[in-house]
Amino acid sequence: MADIDMKPADESKDKKDEAKKEEPKPEPPTPVQEIKTNIVLIERAVSTLEPRFTHRVLRSLTSLRKKIDNKVLRDAIEAAYPKGWLQLYKSLLSWVPAAAPSDDAMDVEPTTNSKTGTPEPVPEADIYFRLLILHHLLSSPSTYAKAVELAQQTVEKMQALNRRSMDPIASKIWFAVERAYELGGELADARPLFLAAQRTASLRHDDETQASLINRLLRSYLHYSLYDQADKLISKTTFPVSAANSQHARYHYFLGRIKAVQLNYSEAHINLQQAIRRAPPPKTAPGFYQAVHKLFVIVELLMGDIPERGLFRHVVLQKALNAYFELVKAVRTGSLSQFQSTLSKHAAQFEADKTYTLIVRLRQNVIKTGIRRLSLSYSRISLRDICVKLHLDSEEDAEYIVGKAIRDGVIEGRIIHEKGWMECGNQKSGYGPEVSDAFSRRIGYCLELHNESVKAMRYPLNAHRKELAAAEVVREREKHIAKGIEDGDIDDDDMGGDF
Amino acid sequence: MAPQQIVALYNDLQRAFNTQPANLQLCGTLLSKLKIGLIETGLLLPHGDARLEDLVMARDILEIGAFWSIRTKDVPSFDRYFSQLQSFYVDYSSVLPPSKREYPIRGLNLIRLLTQNRIADFHTTLESLPLPADAIGDNPYLRHPVNLERWLMEGSYSKVWNAREEAPTEEYKFFVDSLMGTIRNEIASCEEAAYDSLPLKDAATLLFFTTQSELLRFAEARGWKINLAESSISFSRTSEEKIEIPKEKLIAASLAYARELEQIV
Repeated sequence: MADIDMKPADESKDKKDEAKKEEPKPEPPTPVQEIKTNIVLIERAVSTLEPRFTHRVLRSLTSLRKKIDNKVLRDAIEAAYPKGWLQLYKSLLSWVPAAAPSDDAMDVEPTTNSKTGTPEPVPEADIYFRLLILHHLLSSPSTYAKAVELAQQTVEKMQALNRRSMDPIASKIWFAVERAYELGGELADARPLFLAAQRTASLRHDDETQASLINRLLRSYLHYSLYDQADKLISKTTFPVSAANSQHARYHYFLGRIKAVQLNYSEAHINLQQAIRRAPPPKTAPGFYQAVHKLFVIVELLMGDIPERGLFRHVVLQKALNAYFELVKAVRTGSLSQFQSTLSKHAAQFEADKTYTLIVRLRQNVIKTGIRRLSLSYSRISLRDICVKLHLDSEEDAEYIVGKAIRDGVIEGRIIHEKGWMECGNQKSGYGPEVSDAFSRRIGYCLELHNESVKAMRYPLNAHRKELAAAEVVREREKHIAKGIEDGDIDDDDMGGDF
Repeated sequence: MAPQQIVALYNDLQRAFNTQPANLQLCGTLLSKLKIGLIETGLLLPHGDARLEDLVMARDILEIGAFWSIRTKDVPSFDRYFSQLQSFYVDYSSVLPPSKREYPIRGLNLIRLLTQNRIADFHTTLESLPLPADAIGDNPYLRHPVNLERWLMEGSYSKVWNAREEAPTEEYKFFVDSLMGTIRNEIASCEEAAYDSLPLKDAATLLFFTTQSELLRFAEARGWKINLAESSISFSRTSEEKIEIPKEKLIAASLAYARELEQIV
């Protein structure tokens, strides 16, 4: 997307290039420089009321986070706050653990002074620094307590300032706040804070913060297995449509989780699929990708589908989903004994993934698959054989189970009670109204995708002026032609005009 | 009401509840007095820092109330007591010593959800138990409802039937009857789909009826045809539904596609 007005565009293009120089080896910008350009961008975002610049800054957060250390932060803060803003500068610096002063700092110094005049640092920059410091404090266990303290102070400050241009940064801050509380060990304590902030955010139509906070709350509820509360929260709030993709992905994941627990598998399936589609590429966020897929596999199995084999060969997923792959094999063959042994073998992992209770529910699916396989391969089979093949406890059970399977439409068949066998009817052929239903679902999805992407397109401001001018020209031309027609002397050239 | 009074009433309640057989009427009157007392002292829905003994007492009263409601066969009242107990079990779990009645009551709540066929709620509640998932199997109070649910879902109805005598506490038996009703209806609907006809004797065993008259009454209620001469039941087959092409739906879909395509082009 081209930038709008020309003058800043050139500048910002340079900046963009600079920020993008992370990949090319020759001369990557030092983290300090990166922070500095980011601050400039934030200032521009505030002055032009264009949140796009702030978003660009925040996009580099993940990569930047890995590069910062005490010295970098120190230097960057020093650079950003020239003399005269001593108080702010000191308050920020007090959070950064002291670094050994070195001569390198001098290299950066000259470039920083290139700022024109003495601009007043915007509060957003201050909050941005706090965000960086928070992330830095969270990178080592010894400073967790300090991080919680800083988080509290930052939230207070943010709420006191109440600036709309700060919203994108604020949403990131909330994420850091949650991390701080979680690592500090008291995730539940942060809940009232989040709830209050969520209320304010929704009153101010601060979509990004709201999205971030709803996710924080859901996560906090699910962490303590409070599915009821989480469900109520969802029914009482509306997730802002304009929220960032990553927030949407998280939200859909949480929704999928809740729906799966409530046995609403088809709904859960849709949500998890959305989460997968909206998630960042698997290589950059492998943890999320794996977590979603674990749940996704289970939900698919619960729905009676078998996940694709290729899924388990994915580079990111292969190792993490190994236990689940074995589970899928057990369900696919309909072998209860294999299912049980897989379950007990990987119980610890399933427990850690919080999927154990969901997997236990799969037992009935295993039986159903087994019955379906039998009904496909035999036209008549005695209940006793079913019992032996599926490892059921008694023939009596087998009769009830087969009866239930027939009623639920898993198989087509009859039980002949007097003779003690099951007769299997011929299966329905694959063609019917269901086919068109499946197609219409897919077509509907494609159309929606198209419409969504049309809506998501951005148009440069004032660009329609040019078109208006062009329209003006065309109109002139038309007038001219009309006049020509009236006069009766019309040229072939005019007819071939490009209108 | 003064705190001493509450304590006195509480002692009365415990005595009345623990005598064999318990004096249910007396318990009821004591409970309603105590509840008023609890509201006045702000202990019914505690917030902030209340004294530990007071909290334990309030929890005991509510727990007795929950058991009492089951014994008097008052399920909505059990529901209320249970939701009031929730805040003691969840919010004060770190402060209060664990109660030995907690899991029986949680188990009862699970059975209640099961008998009302609220399977989704059942699983949500199960999921939010403060126990690791594999420990549920070791807890006799929870194992019972969990097993029941599993058997119901896979269709092992005879196991459910046999398990009705294995209830871990007296109160569980209250739900057995309504559970049996649910099972019979389930089995009946399965039979309608799976059999063409059944001998009366076998139908009785399948539905766990001991006498023929019970079976006949049940069969009549479900509208089955009984052939007494052959002593068999035949199930009226729901006629094979013809597969029809949903014309209107297809037309509507095609029109919608045309409209969308037009927008795109």
